[in-house]
Amino acid sequence: MTEEVSKVDKVVEIPMTVEIPVGPQHPAVHEPILIKVYAEGEYVVKAEAYTGYNHRGIEKLAEKKTFYQDIFLCGRVCGICNAVHADCYVRALEHILNKEPPPRAKYLRTLVMELERLHSHMLILAVTAEIVGFDTLFMHMMRDRELIMKAKEIVTGNRVLADYIMVGGVRRDLNSEKMDKLKKILTKVEPRIRYYWRVFEEDVTLNKRLVEVGRLTPAQVTSHGLLGPVARASGVATDSRYHDAYDAYAEVPFRIVTRKEGDCMARSLVRFEEMQVSLEICRYILNHLPEGEAVPDERRLPRRFPEGEAFTTVEAPRGELTYYVMSKGGVNPYRVKIRTPSYNNIINTVPFYVGHMVADVPAILASYDPCISCMERVTVIDLRRGTRKKVSVRDLARGEA
Amino acid sequence: MSSDPLEIPDVLKPIENLLKGVTVMKPGRVVALLEPGDVVKAYVALKARYGETGLYFSTLVATDLKDEGKIRIDYYINVLEKNQYVVLRTYVPRDDPRIESLLKEAPAALPGECEAYDLLGVVFEGNPHLRRAFFVPEEVAEKDIFPLRKDAGV
Repeated sequence: MTEEVSKVDKVVEIPMTVEIPVGPQHPAVHEPILIKVYAEGEYVVKAEAYTGYNHRGIEKLAEKKTFYQDIFLCGRVCGICNAVHADCYVRALEHILNKEPPPRAKYLRTLVMELERLHSHMLILAVTAEIVGFDTLFMHMMRDRELIMKAKEIVTGNRVLADYIMVGGVRRDLNSEKMDKLKKILTKVEPRIRYYWRVFEEDVTLNKRLVEVGRLTPAQVTSHGLLGPVARASGVATDSRYHDAYDAYAEVPFRIVTRKEGDCMARSLVRFEEMQVSLEICRYILNHLPEGEAVPDERRLPRRFPEGEAFTTVEAPRGELTYYVMSKGGVNPYRVKIRTPSYNNIINTVPFYVGHMVADVPAILASYDPCISCMERVTVIDLRRGTRKKVSVRDLARGEA
Repeated sequence: MSSDPLEIPDVLKPIENLLKGVTVMKPGRVVALLEPGDVVKAYVALKARYGETGLYFSTLVATDLKDEGKIRIDYYINVLEKNQYVVLRTYVPRDDPRIESLLKEAPAALPGECEAYDLLGVVFEGNPHLRRAFFVPEEVAEKDIFPLRKDAGV
């Protein structure tokens, strides 16, 4: 450190969360993480990640609870994409039980997960706008995001934590009245998304802050295991919906969105186009929802599980989420391993901050879609004067630190 | 899980000479059983065959098999060209769990190795970033407790 002091002017510490008192919004890193960025002048010369601020021990806790209790536990790993966590875990249980949910339930699961992708993408794009100083766009996007939250409430009964997916199906069915309401919401929200998409493409400030910033090559993406929109924006066509074709994705038409630029803007535009695809998927599901039962009789589900193991994946809004579940028989899982997409996307991208300007760090971080509460406090350490001061990420991004 | 011997699937042909067995994990994951010393060689061979952008390292799962006195380490690799998940599975002794780090070949293994060291005590030789309290609270790390071990008493 002494040697570094002589070479470095300022140290910027970004404690990124941390958690997530209300359900880790950051799906992957189950806790707060600190990224220390060492700057020389305005440029980053070194970056380090520190983790462990709020490890909740969910994997250990899952071993103590029953298979069924863990559905609710897994749903609380992440507040934003809780349905994808529950879906991934429940599908692992269904593989161990050799149980196949009915087609209608598969379609409804897919519908909820696509609604989650829509509101998750809208959130991070709104935050991206806010971080580069476009607060008005943030406000408008968050207002329209409420429409999607309402849609999720119509389907699942809850705006945020859905607790919708259960072994062998879902907890609530849809009737024609609710389906009409959902279609109206989709019709209302689509032009808004197209409008914001155009703003991102054409706005001068957004272009200056996002284009050619934080560029990643396809080889960097695969070697560092980067996932989701981060990978697809660099031209790596990885998408669990295609790889695993789980739930209704084997039947619902959709396309993998990729771009070649690999910069922050590309990651934003991939998310916009994915929202368009999600809207199309939702509409297709509402028009082609299979008849039949979707809600299983919980009393008929087996209490004890056979021996077995399963490894399931799901394309969460931030990328591929994986669950490994192992049963040695009985009522508790022997091992549950959760690997969230941000786990890879945030920890493994730390070396890629080097060479960028300090003010670009928040924009790059936002483009990886991390947990926002992690980034709310930033400490600037002036190594020459030996002083520390706390500033917001927003001020840092605006060069006011 | 099936324990019946299977024909070697196409996706594993590049590491045919290293295999100690092949099984399948639901849903359709090909599991290659390897000696601990062969995991890095297997990854290198797969990367040589499918190219740097033809696969990515996805997940590392370490499991404490207390009754067998072993810790099982699974490396999940998504081979994009074949659209197939491959699992490199190996076992290390529980009383001295050591294995060569995959970090040089797959930087993506960083958080998985750090987590497996912190929570289960598996030493990945060659990984300079291993440290206790990567995830667990310092008071737990100071007591030398590995929380995901079955006898950790957590």
